[in-house]
Amino acid sequence: MKQINRVDNGGRINRHKTLVFTFNNKTYQGFEGDTLASALLANGVDVVGRSFKYSRPRGIVTADAQEPNAIFQVGSSQATTIPNPRATQTELYKNLECHSTNGWPNVDFDLMGTVGKIGGAAMPPGFYYKTFMFPQSMWMSYEKIIRKGAGLGCSPQLPDPDSYDKLHHHCDVMIVGAGPAGLSAALSAARAGARVIIADEQNELGGSLLCTRQLLDGQAAQVWIDKTISELAQNKNVILLPRSTVFGYFDHNYIGINERRSDHLGEVDHNGTRQRLHKVRAKQVILATGAHERPLVYGNNDVPGCMLASAVSTYINRYGVVPGKTLALMTTNDYAYKAALDWHDAGRKVALIVDTRASSDGDMVKEAMQRGINIVFGHAIIDVKGSKRVKSVEVAKLNDSADKVLGSSVNYVCDTVASSGGWSPVIHLSSHTGSRPVWRDDIQGFVPGETVQAQHVCGGLQGVYNLSQTLKDGFSCGAVAAQEACKGHGNDHDDDLNVVPQIDELSESASMALFHIPHFKPTSRAPKQFVDYQNDVTAAGIEMANREGFESIEHVKRYTALGFGTDQGKLGNINGMAVTAKSLGKTIPETGTTIFRPMYTPVTFGALAGSDVKQLFDPARFTAMHSWHLAQGAEFEDVGQWKRPWYFPQPGETMQQSLQRECLATRNSVGILDASTLGKIDIQGKDAREFLNRIYTNPWSQLAPGRCRYGVMCKEDGMVFDDGVTSCIDDNRFLMTTTTGGAPGVLAWLELWHQTEWPELEVYFSTVTDHWATMTISGPNSRKVLEKITSADVSNEAFPYMGWIPAEVAGVKARIFRISFTGELSFEINVQANYGLHTWEAVIAAGEEFNITPYGTETMHILRAEKGFIIIGQDTDGSVTPQDLDMNWVVGKKKEFSYLGKRSWTRIDNQRSDRKQLVGLKPKDPNFVLPEGAQIVFEKGQAIPMTMVGHVTSSYFSACLGYSFALAVVKGGIDRKGQSVFLPLADGTTVEAEICSSVFYDPKGERQNV
Amino acid sequence: MSNSARVESPLEHADFAGLAALKINGGVILREAKLLGHLNLRGNANDPDFLKGVKSALDLDLPLAPCSSAQNANTTIMWLSPDEWLVIVDGVTEAAIEGKLRQSLRGHFAVSDISGAQTMLEISGKDCLQLLQKSIGYDLHLDSFPINKVIGTALAKSSAHIRRTGEYNFQLIIRRSFADYIWLWLQQSSKEYGLSVTL
Repeated sequence: MKQINRVDNGGRINRHKTLVFTFNNKTYQGFEGDTLASALLANGVDVVGRSFKYSRPRGIVTADAQEPNAIFQVGSSQATTIPNPRATQTELYKNLECHSTNGWPNVDFDLMGTVGKIGGAAMPPGFYYKTFMFPQSMWMSYEKIIRKGAGLGCSPQLPDPDSYDKLHHHCDVMIVGAGPAGLSAALSAARAGARVIIADEQNELGGSLLCTRQLLDGQAAQVWIDKTISELAQNKNVILLPRSTVFGYFDHNYIGINERRSDHLGEVDHNGTRQRLHKVRAKQVILATGAHERPLVYGNNDVPGCMLASAVSTYINRYGVVPGKTLALMTTNDYAYKAALDWHDAGRKVALIVDTRASSDGDMVKEAMQRGINIVFGHAIIDVKGSKRVKSVEVAKLNDSADKVLGSSVNYVCDTVASSGGWSPVIHLSSHTGSRPVWRDDIQGFVPGETVQAQHVCGGLQGVYNLSQTLKDGFSCGAVAAQEACKGHGNDHDDDLNVVPQIDELSESASMALFHIPHFKPTSRAPKQFVDYQNDVTAAGIEMANREGFESIEHVKRYTALGFGTDQGKLGNINGMAVTAKSLGKTIPETGTTIFRPMYTPVTFGALAGSDVKQLFDPARFTAMHSWHLAQGAEFEDVGQWKRPWYFPQPGETMQQSLQRECLATRNSVGILDASTLGKIDIQGKDAREFLNRIYTNPWSQLAPGRCRYGVMCKEDGMVFDDGVTSCIDDNRFLMTTTTGGAPGVLAWLELWHQTEWPELEVYFSTVTDHWATMTISGPNSRKVLEKITSADVSNEAFPYMGWIPAEVAGVKARIFRISFTGELSFEINVQANYGLHTWEAVIAAGEEFNITPYGTETMHILRAEKGFIIIGQDTDGSVTPQDLDMNWVVGKKKEFSYLGKRSWTRIDNQRSDRKQLVGLKPKDPNFVLPEGAQIVFEKGQAIPMTMVGHVTSSYFSACLGYSFALAVVKGGIDRKGQSVFLPLADGTTVEAEICSSVFYDPKGERQNV
Repeated sequence: MSNSARVESPLEHADFAGLAALKINGGVILREAKLLGHLNLRGNANDPDFLKGVKSALDLDLPLAPCSSAQNANTTIMWLSPDEWLVIVDGVTEAAIEGKLRQSLRGHFAVSDISGAQTMLEISGKDCLQLLQKSIGYDLHLDSFPINKVIGTALAKSSAHIRRTGEYNFQLIIRRSFADYIWLWLQQSSKEYGLSVTL
C-alpha cells in the first residue's frame, strides 16, 4: 500500500516501523512518529468528516490543537472508544481504529448531505433561538435529529479498562510550553536553583524549533534542543512533561495538566497509568504557549485541501508528508512563504503565491522569487473550486484598502490552498484566571492583559516571533521568575550561562492586517466564506447577526454559535471578531474580546476521575466485627460511609422472613447488634456538665457517675438535630453518643459553640468513635448470656437500668451500659476495638444455648419503632421540635443557663396547635404496610389538589404485634388519637388508618427495666 | 486483660505476614506498626504546670512548635493542634501511661485512650514520595516537610496525620474504620512501583 504523499526522506518519523491503522473501516499505513492526521494526509485521504449544518465534506486544516474538522471517534470497542480527539494531536499506534464523528452515516456519501442542504437554508444564524424554541414542546424531537447529525461523538458504553491517577506537585516555576521560549526559560530558572516543571502538549519538546529551517550557532536546531533537554533532565529540581497538556490555569497559580502516558502506545494500557492528571501549585507561572496561525476567510475556504500555511510546513518538515501536488499560497505576511519554499523543496509544484500586500522585499520573498515561483502581489484568492478536493482557485486584484476586489478573476489550477492571515498568541490559559486580553495593532493579535496571578509571559505569546528575541525573552523571563519564587534561597548563578545562540535572522517586511477576503458579490451572496468550520459559521452569518442587532461579540457568539465547537473557536474567533468589526465599522478592540475557559483542549473523564473509581470512589468504613458479618452472609446497608449489617438472611429466607425471625428471637430470647458505628465523643473538663446543660435540651446537673441519660440536641431554631445517650464517667468526664451519620457534625457543633460562644468553659472534646467496638445484646436472656462471660454483678439490683459499669468481658476490659433501643433488657458492651471481634465471638459462643441471633439495622428499626423511639433524619427532618415529637419530658424547665433551641420554641409558629406532630398509625388492614413517605389527608373524597396534613415517616410489619404499624407526622396529631386518616397512594387507591400512640409495644417500659 | 484475649489490628484481614513472605522487591515499602498505644492529649501549652506534668510523666518535652514532634526510646509525641497532641507508646502500656499522665497533670487537661481508633503505617522506599504525591496535596520537599515534621492532611478521600522520619520514611496515622480504604488506595497507587510489605 503506497503512502502517495510521503516524501522519500526527512521528517521526524521512524520509517522502519510501519503502523497499520483503519479509518472508516479502510486500512492504511503510517509510521511511528506520525499523528493520525499526518498518516491520513500521507495516504491522500482528503475528506475526514462532514460539517455540522451544511454537511459539506471537510479535510484536515491544521497540524495542532486548533483542528476543527479532523475530530474522530477513536477506539475499537465500546470500552475503549474516545469521542472527539483531534487527529492532529492523536499519535498513531499499531492497529488504531477510528471513524469520522461527523458524516453519519458515511463521509463520502452522506445522507445528512441532502438534509443539510435543505437544512442549510432552514438553519440561518440564530437557528436555535428562532426555530427550536417554538414550540418548546418540540425540542425533544428536534434534539434527537440534531444530535445525530451534529457529530458530537459517542460516549463509551462499557467500563474503561485503563487506569488513571493524579499527582500533586509544588514548584517554584511552572512553565507552560516547551518551544524556544519555554525551554530557555526553563534553563535559566533551573540554573538559578528553582524547582521547575515544564509541560508541553506535544510528543517531543521543542515546539517551533522542531521544524525550523534556521540554524543555531551554525547547527541544526535539534542540537540545541538535545543539549537543553539533557541539561534539564539531569537537574533533579526539574520535571519534564512531554505529551502533557496544561488544560487549566486556576486561582493561586494552580495548574491542571493532563499527561497522556500511553495513549500513543495502543488502545489499552494493561500495565501502567494511561493518563495522569498533574495538579501543580506553582509560586510563579511562565506562559510560553506561543501562537497559532490564523487562516484567511475566503470563498469556499472549507474545501478539503485548504489548509493553514504553517500546517503545510509542519507536515512536510516534521512528518515527511506533502499534502498535495500543486500549491497555491495566499498570505498577508512574509513568514508564510516558508510553506511554499518547503513545498518547493519537497519537489512539488507551487502554482503561485498570492500576496495581499502591494509588495515585500523580505528574505524569504526574495528566495521565492529567485526560485522562479510566481508571486502575485496585491491580489487575493477569492474563491475555491472543487467539492471533495480543491481543483482550482480564483484570484482577483484587491483595492488599496483590501475591502473590494477589482477587475475580473483569473483561475489557477491547484489541489492545495495554504493561507495565512498572521498569528494569534495562544492567550487561552491567561484568560482562565480572568485576565482580559489586550489587542496589539503592531502584531495584529491579542496578548495577555493584566493579571492578579504571579504570572509571566514570554515568546510568541507576547508577539515576539523572531527566534533570537524569543530565546532572549525566555532566558530573562525564567531568571526573573526564579528570582521571584526563590527569594533568599536561590543559587548564586551566572547569568552569563544564559547565552542566546548565534542565529542569522531573516529580514521580514511588515504584514498586512487582513482577515476577511472580499468578493465581487456582497458577502451574503458570495460563495460561503467559513469563519468557524465546526459550527458552519460563515462571514455572511456573522454579518446577518450584526444586521439583526447583535453587536456585542458575546451576543454574536451565542447567536451564530461562533466558537461553540469542541475547538472552542481557536481557529475562528479572531476572524469572527474581525468580520464583526468590519461590518459594524469598528476596530477589533472596540468590538471586544472573548474569554477562553478551561479546558484548553478536552480532557477525558477518566483522567479527571483518576483512581477514585470503583471501590475507591467513596471510602467504605468498617467495624472491627465486619469479617464476622461477611462470614455470616449479612446483607449490608450504607449508613454514611459505614457498611452496617442490614439483616442476616439464612438460606432460603426472604428479607421479611429474616426480619421476623430476628425480631422474634430478640423479643423472646436474645439478639445481638453491632452498634460500633454510633458516634462517641469523650468530653473532659470541669465544665463538661455545664456544657451538656447548654447543648442538650434536658438537664444534666444531677446525673451521677455511673449513670446514663438520653438527650436531644436542637439547633438555634429549636429543631431537633441529633440524639443519643450520654453517660457520666466521673464528675469531669462524660461519654456522649451520637447518631452514626451525625457524629462528625455533632463534634463540629460542640467545638463551634465552645470556641466561639463559651470559650470560658473548661472542656475538651475528642472523638473516640473508632476506639470502641460496641455490641448490644438485647432480649430477656441477655443477662444470662452476659453472666457467662463476666464476673461482674449484672443483676438489676447491682446494675440497674440506665447505668454503666466497668467490667471485664471475655477477658477484655470493657464498659457495659444498660441502655435499650429495643425496649428489651439490654446490655451494650464496649471494648477497645482491637478486641472487638474476640469479644463478639465470645458473646456469640456464650449465647449459643439461647439461640443468640445477630440482627441488623432493619430489625433494629422495627424494634425501636414498636417502642416509638425516633430515628433522627427518618422521623425528623430539621423542622421538628421536641414538642412536636411529644417529648416534652426531654425539655429542661429549670436549667439556670439557657440552652440551644429553647428561645425559638416561644416563636408563634412553633406554638401552633396544628403543627405536624409525631403519632402512631394503625392501618385498617393489619397486613398492609403503608409506604414510607405516603401523604396523609383528613378527608377521603377531596378533589386534587387535596389538603395534605402529614406523611408516614417509618412503616413496618411487626412480627411481635402481629400487625403492620407506622410512625407519622400529622397536623395536630397528638390530639387526634383515635381518629381516622386517609392515605391516597400513587396507584390511585386510598388506605385508611387510625391515629394512635407512637408507643406500640410495652407502653409501661416494663421489659427493659428488669 | 487476660492472655487469652485475641487482639487484632484494623488491617488484620490484609494478611501482612503472608504478603511479607512474598519478599517482593518494590519501590514502596509498607509496614504496619500495629497495636501501639495511642493517647490523645489536650491541654494548655501556655501553662507551665501542664508542660512540667507531661515532662514528668513521659520523660519528654511536649513539642510546642506547630507541626513538630518529639521522640525518645519509648514515646513519640506529635503536635496536632495548638492544644492537642498524639502520644504514641508501646502497645499495652497505654493504660499505665494514661494513669501516669492523670497523676502528674493538674488543672484543665484531657487524656483519651484512642489505641483502638487508629493504626500506624510506615511507608518507605525509593518511590514512596511519588506514592505520597498521589495521595496528599502537601509539598513533600524537605524544605517544606523536613524530618520530624507532622502534618494533618487529606489522604485521598480520607485523612491522616503524617510524620516524616527520614528523607524516604514516613509514618501515617490513620483511622481504624478507614484503614481498609487507605490500604486499597495505597495498593492501587503503588502498583507501578511495586509494593513490598515488611513486618
